[in-house]
Amino acid sequence: MSAVATPKVRGRGWLLAACLVWVGMLLLVPLVGIVITALEPGIHVVTETLSSPDVIHALQLTAVITVISVVVTALFGVVVAWVLVRQRFWGRALMNATVDLPFALSPVTVGLAALVLFGPGGWLAPFFESRGIQIIFALPSMILVTVFICVPFTIREVVPVLEEIGLDEEDASRTLGASVWQTFFRVTLPNIRWALAYGVALTTARAIGEIGAVLIVSGLLQGKTETATLFIFRAYEERQVPAAYVVALLLAAVSVTLLVVIEFLRHRQERERTRT
Amino acid sequence: MGSTAQTLGGRGRLRSSQRTAASLRHLALRGAAVVYLGLLVALPVVAVVTKGFGDGLGTFRDAMATPAAWAAVRLTLWTSTVAAGLNAVMGTLLAWVLVRYRFPGRRLLSTVVDLPLAIPTLVTGVMILALYGPNSIFGRFLDGLGIRVLFTPIAIVIALCTVTLPLVVRNVQPVLQELDTAEEEAAATLGAGPRTTFRRVVFPAIRSAVVAGTLLTFSRCLGEIGSVILVAGNIPKKTLTAPVFIFQLTSQFKPAEAAAVATLLFAFSFVLVLATSRLIARKEAPV
Amino acid sequence: MPRWFKRRILAAPLVLTLIGLAACSSSSASGATGCSSSSPASSVVINFAAYSTPREVYDAKIIPTFVKEWKDKTGQTVLFNESYAGSTTQAQNVVNGLGSDVVALSLAPDIQTIQDAGLITHDWTQAPDGGMVSASVAVFDVRPGNPKGIKDWSDLATAGTGVLTPDPAQNGGARWNLVALWGAALRGDVTGIAKGDEAAATTLMQAVTHNVISYDKSARDSIQNFESGNGDVAITYENEVKTAQAAGEPDTAVYPKGTVLIENPVAVVDKNAQAHCVEDVANAFVDYLHTKEAKDFYTTVGYLRPVDPAKAAAGDPANGFPAIHDLFTVADLGGWDALDQKLFSDTGIATQAIAQGG
Repeated sequence: MSAVATPKVRGRGWLLAACLVWVGMLLLVPLVGIVITALEPGIHVVTETLSSPDVIHALQLTAVITVISVVVTALFGVVVAWVLVRQRFWGRALMNATVDLPFALSPVTVGLAALVLFGPGGWLAPFFESRGIQIIFALPSMILVTVFICVPFTIREVVPVLEEIGLDEEDASRTLGASVWQTFFRVTLPNIRWALAYGVALTTARAIGEIGAVLIVSGLLQGKTETATLFIFRAYEERQVPAAYVVALLLAAVSVTLLVVIEFLRHRQERERTRT
Repeated sequence: MGSTAQTLGGRGRLRSSQRTAASLRHLALRGAAVVYLGLLVALPVVAVVTKGFGDGLGTFRDAMATPAAWAAVRLTLWTSTVAAGLNAVMGTLLAWVLVRYRFPGRRLLSTVVDLPLAIPTLVTGVMILALYGPNSIFGRFLDGLGIRVLFTPIAIVIALCTVTLPLVVRNVQPVLQELDTAEEEAAATLGAGPRTTFRRVVFPAIRSAVVAGTLLTFSRCLGEIGSVILVAGNIPKKTLTAPVFIFQLTSQFKPAEAAAVATLLFAFSFVLVLATSRLIARKEAPV
Repeated sequence: MPRWFKRRILAAPLVLTLIGLAACSSSSASGATGCSSSSPASSVVINFAAYSTPREVYDAKIIPTFVKEWKDKTGQTVLFNESYAGSTTQAQNVVNGLGSDVVALSLAPDIQTIQDAGLITHDWTQAPDGGMVSASVAVFDVRPGNPKGIKDWSDLATAGTGVLTPDPAQNGGARWNLVALWGAALRGDVTGIAKGDEAAATTLMQAVTHNVISYDKSARDSIQNFESGNGDVAITYENEVKTAQAAGEPDTAVYPKGTVLIENPVAVVDKNAQAHCVEDVANAFVDYLHTKEAKDFYTTVGYLRPVDPAKAAAGDPANGFPAIHDLFTVADLGGWDALDQKLFSDTGIATQAIAQGG
């Protein structure tokens, strides 16, 4: 037994070391570097930055865009997941493929699409221009591009779970006389809640961090269409490096908290899945 | 009628009015799904593809005629391949370490691995600039060795690897977890070394997960902009990637040409994402 | 009732509220259908789009002062929505619907783009100084002590010299830089190049672009890239170097023998200003920019060079603005149209040189 154990143990050491170096170099070291640079001038930088009106507005804007994205993609995501799993119809494969489209697009292409649709001469431009509603260089386009990018997350998390749990419980519920809505809320939803929550967490993280598409459609109006990520961008350009890093750290901290939540949820999800 | 019967497992206990209500409900849901996906996803994609190819292949030829264009596509393809390859190997190893080993800090490592999912790509770019800039310890050390990282394809690969670090790991981890170690133990008792066991017993089981994760990584790399635009230098034919090229074309008010290149990139990615979905579906098919 | 059901119910009004907020904020950005000429509003919004470089002078100095003086004079509060990005990108954004009321760009052709789109309907060049509010010169930004001994344009072509200059298609600074190179070469200011020798000037341009290590999207991005330690020399505005120095950076300016007078225009985008009913305030703001008080502000961030070429060439050596041997203007080179055609069109010399990958 020991003859087998020793080489394995030595191999383990190398493997673990390689993984730690890989992760450390790519992630931990740079992250620590940013923390140090941000806090170098002193803690007062943190309070000053986070109380400046531009930053507060940027964080609010990011929050608004994120919340809308999460709610829309979660609500409709469940609908789409349901339709994909529980219904058979012509075009189902096409719908399935459409869900994956946002994963295949670079964020710049998404911004470009918004310009093509809503910019001058765009397909949908006349409709909005005549009503005096501004889409490009204003909040609506920023929301739209973020929602587009976040569409697949909840759907891709919920679909496998819906497939796995099958119809048994729902059938039983219906035969026992429960209405469709009751069945959905009392049987289906609790079954998919961890998957849905995981999808929501992924959506939130992605929406908070969006930069490529909003860079194109926002117009960079300070205090108006500047998200937290766009603020970081600008602060860097104005040589306000500590301020940029403070906001970057805030986003990273929110993200890390989200991560812990994701990990926790995933643990729960794995346990529920294997429970069958 | 058919769908309702399926939903109820074939028990046609409903009255016809209930069946109609059910069909209407199903249609309404399907309609909602179609409108949602159609307006929010399909329409923008169609818009871009039409903008790029609306005049036939003319715009596409113009856009790709500049020497920078094909070079950008090639650069994107090969840097994405390298990043995907690196992450395929390291991601699988990481998954193995996270699942099979017990060591202090394992949960922490698992959380750290997921960090790129939650860090804005812009911040990743800033981190790389900070780490490898000539004024940093690392940068100076590498400068001394004569190695330039920033504004070379190396920086692009580093950015891509960082941003896609968790993808293969997340794909392989659950599969590894569900693997029964009995087969590996059997192989060991039959005299196989750990490497042979991995090659002959473990890898075949996780192969499709690794491939799916790698394809997803590759597709993600093809479109990466936030981190690359900061660290690459964006020199045409040397360090200008396709997404940055599309960004430049868009900023230069050449939406048609931008759309043409974007469609080319999207076509690559989409094929990959489709292949990945198929692999995942096959893997998760009921046994 | 299940917790999840309650959450769904709460989500609906939340979504509706947020969408309502979004619609409100967006419709406020679009213009009112008609301006009430009777009583002016107590507060107005001016949408201001500028190129990347003068953000410090506008954001921290000129705009707050104007806002205060306007309030003292008329009692009206003015809110500025500022946006800073590469000059050419900004021009395109305005054309694409960024509802800017006043634009401060790096070079006249970018204002021309907006005028050609029909958004500027008056002759903005009739303003004092031909519409220009600030001027600077193209210089070399080098490392402290100038270790590579960069003195002139030909030094940028030396093998192994890392040059930084922004992307001409997205910002104005890059075009000024390349025009400076071209003009200096053609006017015989560069050693080794005979006056009027276009072929030699073209070769020089190709050699210099070959040495460029990064084309950033704005002048500000470019100089910051240099400050991060990349490259040996950045071609940039004199005022950018001074702004950097004021921020404590060790940027050092080297002045070539021949360089171009960079003239920056400002204009009211009257179509937008009329639609937003802020034309009077917008005009007042632009007028303010031509006053001595505003010019003094520009000086504080390094824009000393007067718009008058003769005075600009003389500089103010005592205060850190060296005299320039041959300071030429775009007019001396035949005007922007000719230069754009020759250098920056799709078949232009500069465009070709850059596309060759350097």
